[in-house]
Amino acid sequence: MCKMPVSKTQIDRLGDRLREVREDPHTESDLRLLDDYRRSFGEAYEAVVRTIRQRGEFPTGRLAKSTVSIVEKLRRESIRLSQMQDIAGCRVVVVNVVRQEQFVASLKTDFPGASLIDRRDNPSYGYRAVHIIAMISGMPVEIQVRTSLQHLWAELSEKSSDVLDPTIKYGGGPAEWRSYLTSSSKSVAAYEDLEKKSSIAVAAYEVMVAVHEDIKKATAELLEHQLPDHEVQEIRGKLEDSTRKMERAELEVQDMQDEMVRLWNVNADRLKETISWLDKLKGQKQ
Amino acid sequence: MIFLIEYNRSEGSIVTFRYFDDSERRKAEDSRLEIELDVNRKGVDHEVVLLEAASEDALRRTHRRYFEDLRQILKSR
Repeated sequence: MCKMPVSKTQIDRLGDRLREVREDPHTESDLRLLDDYRRSFGEAYEAVVRTIRQRGEFPTGRLAKSTVSIVEKLRRESIRLSQMQDIAGCRVVVVNVVRQEQFVASLKTDFPGASLIDRRDNPSYGYRAVHIIAMISGMPVEIQVRTSLQHLWAELSEKSSDVLDPTIKYGGGPAEWRSYLTSSSKSVAAYEDLEKKSSIAVAAYEVMVAVHEDIKKATAELLEHQLPDHEVQEIRGKLEDSTRKMERAELEVQDMQDEMVRLWNVNADRLKETISWLDKLKGQKQ
Repeated sequence: MIFLIEYNRSEGSIVTFRYFDDSERRKAEDSRLEIELDVNRKGVDHEVVLLEAASEDALRRTHRRYFEDLRQILKSR
């Protein structure tokens, strides 16, 4: 059973002290208290990571949020320290949005009652991912589930917030960079939407191919018998109908894949422009 | 494995990088606290974080911002 080292009130008072913007550093006793509080999430964190590993994924765990990040969050949002849900957490990067859907569904089963924040439909300044807050013995542990494209975008946003402008993560920063992040986030969303639709279309096409093969076999068997002309016509008609349906489904899959390639290329062009802009910026700084 | 990273955000570079065996959690947490206290005393804006991953490669994939510059991340796509 996880236990808080001190009362909730003491934790919130600590949060209030850390939130204050002041010239002198935080007191050592406050930092030690914060550290004790963070360590109290250890068992809950372990339980979550163990469950995820059993699901065949290998998360990277953040045993505890850094002091700098906690203080920034306290100052940015009107949140109490005891309410902060991402003190401990982990990140799982999955191959694509189809796997993301499957994995999130399995987490909902593993952690019933967990809250889910789906930032794919409502991005936070372009950031898209699914966050799940699992509660273990009353302690929250955040699980970030990102696709590799969502992850790449998030890394770009975070790194540029570090080295270009700390407000980028929250919608600020140079207009050129902002524009790139906004358009690439939308482009990833469109690509992943197609990826999801395409996987459904491919599955439907595969079923259609199997059914068509059955119809073909049954037709061949039936035509070996002496059947009246109108029945032969009817059977052939059904086979032709099945062939047309299959061809249409194949075209649909092909169209989606072409569109995915097109979106990928548009993004690659935009990327080249952004790298040039970045190099120019670096040149100006030197 | 457990990784301890002290990261200079404005420079975008790692200042300290240490790793510990999974069984050394306590030691890793103590080292993190030690660095955080030191960073606080010096008044520098460094992020001190403890991460756990199957390997350093896995860590580099999920937390690239600590290891790569912006151009490298952009070009990796």
